[in-house]
Amino acid sequence: MNGTAINVLYFAQVAELTRLRQETWPIDGPITGADWLARLEARYPQLAPTRRLKLAVNQYHVPLNTVIQPGDEVAVFEPVTGG
Amino acid sequence: MVIVQQADFDSAALVAQLRERTAGKAGALVTFTGYVRDYAPDQPTRSLYLEHYPGMCEREINDICAAAQARWDVTEILAVHRHGELQQKDQIVFIAVAGPHRGDAFRACEYVIDALKTRAPFWKRETLADGKQFWVQQRDADADKTQQWDPQQ
Repeated sequence: MNGTAINVLYFAQVAELTRLRQETWPIDGPITGADWLARLEARYPQLAPTRRLKLAVNQYHVPLNTVIQPGDEVAVFEPVTGG
Repeated sequence: MVIVQQADFDSAALVAQLRERTAGKAGALVTFTGYVRDYAPDQPTRSLYLEHYPGMCEREINDICAAAQARWDVTEILAVHRHGELQQKDQIVFIAVAGPHRGDAFRACEYVIDALKTRAPFWKRETLADGKQFWVQQRDADADKTQQWDPQQ
């Protein structure tokens, strides 16, 4: 992963809607989870409303005000349903 | 100990091994097993596909078990969770808690499964008897139950 992009992972319903499991997403600097989700929704309108989605950054659940840094692994998914 | 695997597991063998490892320290052993349901109000589940986030799953369940061990007097917690294609009546998840006394062992076991349901990154896609498929939605009751363990959160 280089210093000007994030590695985005899509799971379950989100992966079906984007038809992707992974993509490299260029960012020009730090960005909050909420702002990035708005960009995600602009690129994939079929994900709307993205407010329902959850984010994990570097494999930890994070609130939407978390700042995503270049180089981060960002996972996007619906609330989990294991157990 | 946390195990995330596609293969089925032998809960009796896991309990026997846990008893060996905790010999001399645990007078109580509590287990929980979760299965693919064989009943439904309208039509039964034929199969269940469990997608997961490798790496994060193991770490998240490890953290949950560590939190339970810090909070209650228990000797060891074992958590096994399957992923991939499962059939009706298959085992999905197994939690076993060994400790000196039953009270803390019961509470730790319930906490681990409650927290796992709302934190471990697994997603269930259900296929019904007629072939219809859908992604299971998180139940409000599960989210509420996890919060009850930590009302100040």
